[in-house]
Amino acid sequence: MVNVFVAGVGMTRIGRRAEPLSDLMAEAAHAALADARCERPDSVVVAAMNPEEFLGDGNFASHVATAMGLSDVPALRVETATSSGAAAFYAGFLEIAAGVHDTVLVVGGEKMTHLATPKVSELIGRSIDPYERAYGATMPALAGLVTRAVLARGGMGIREMAQVAVKNHANGARNPYAHFRAPVTLEDVLESRMVADPLRLLHCCPISDGAAALVLTRARAAVRVAGLGQGTDTLALRHRRDLTSFVATRAAARAAFAMAGFGPERVGVAELHDAFAPFELISLEDAGLVEPGKAGRVTLDGDTALDGRLPVNPSGGLKARGHPLAATGLAQLVECAWQLTGRATGRQVDARVALAQSIGGLATNNWVILLEAA
Amino acid sequence: MIETIAASRCPVCMATVAPPARFCPWHPVAMEPATVEGIGEVVSFTTLYATPEGFRSPLHIAIVELGGGARFVCHGAATRGIRVGSTVAIEAVDDIYYFAHLGALDRARLFWRRAGYAGDRVNAIARSLAKRVMKGRGRAAS
Repeated sequence: MVNVFVAGVGMTRIGRRAEPLSDLMAEAAHAALADARCERPDSVVVAAMNPEEFLGDGNFASHVATAMGLSDVPALRVETATSSGAAAFYAGFLEIAAGVHDTVLVVGGEKMTHLATPKVSELIGRSIDPYERAYGATMPALAGLVTRAVLARGGMGIREMAQVAVKNHANGARNPYAHFRAPVTLEDVLESRMVADPLRLLHCCPISDGAAALVLTRARAAVRVAGLGQGTDTLALRHRRDLTSFVATRAAARAAFAMAGFGPERVGVAELHDAFAPFELISLEDAGLVEPGKAGRVTLDGDTALDGRLPVNPSGGLKARGHPLAATGLAQLVECAWQLTGRATGRQVDARVALAQSIGGLATNNWVILLEAA
Repeated sequence: MIETIAASRCPVCMATVAPPARFCPWHPVAMEPATVEGIGEVVSFTTLYATPEGFRSPLHIAIVELGGGARFVCHGAATRGIRVGSTVAIEAVDDIYYFAHLGALDRARLFWRRAGYAGDRVNAIARSLAKRVMKGRGRAAS
């Protein structure tokens, strides 16, 4: 397989944005192209989870390519629910690895804050098994079911889960691109209102607008794609054998490390999909970054803090950086690239290998991507 | 009354799912119809406060493991006393399934059914005893 490099990255500030989604995506894309010193890519891969319903716009690859001045560049849209950004990165990677294109722009974004929260929840809920949806299941409800199962199993308690939110808000305070810049305390989290017992408001990531982009190249650049992997699982939560671990992450991590030819011990920094705080703990174990049963301990001990031995979510994660659905997988990779090239000002860690893990739906379609300083 | 729940079984891996699915989630083969008893263990439960349109808050949702490993999603009137691992009965009201703690008589019936046909006799005795107690109470009250 051919080596694929990340030559440039860019993202917008995440939060409540007034601009249309195509403007946000153009902003991120133009920044990535400028960073890569590339005027025109050979192809564009677009990630947007549900512009048809959030915006009433379809044919979105063409919509976005035209809006950013690349109407005659081949454009493709990729979707795997909330991990669409990572899936788009995979498609771009394949275009280069297969020798079809030399330079690919991958851009993802979502605009969500203009709709009322119940409506947003409904649109996100399209990812859920229809029978479970008919019983009123929303993404937080399913996450609540997972969380209670994890609490019953032991090894990850309510305090550990709250600590994830505290850590990520502390990191977000140092990230000028983050949605939330203010720290929160353990008490703030544990006293916030209940959303889906035992998940509280401050365990859950926000609704955000934003976009992120990367330029992938065959030509050598500062960051190399060391490995990537995908894992999938049943749509319905009731069809899962074990609610306390995501098989889709485990399969994706296995494939990514196999491609990279090294193991989790080489990872120096990780961006994990903390749509709900407990998911960071589950993902730490599923990705093989900590031993089974140790994620809670490691978090309370500060190992995953910015100054710990394995910083997790230095960007603030989905919790504080925000979660503009299809942008997220790419925003994680932008942060990884900045960390590997010394450009994560104010939150810089020392790492040569970064891991980004993205969850699609309730862990039906997950990705693990490994980037290495070249 | 322990309800019978419609399910389906995969001829390749014997996985049982409820409600019935056309194809096995893990094998590209058609599933065969099956049924499971509406009684099982709570796998997990939650109470949802931010409910979707058409659902009243708070909404109690549980995943219950029925026979053959078939896991079922249902509502509940309350989650008080429910733990992961609690045994509950499932019953349908207007085509919507609810979980509930097993009533004392249901639990007795189940225990004796698993003990064999002797259970039916004991059941009948228990019921007539109960009836006599109720009649007795009524007489005492008047």
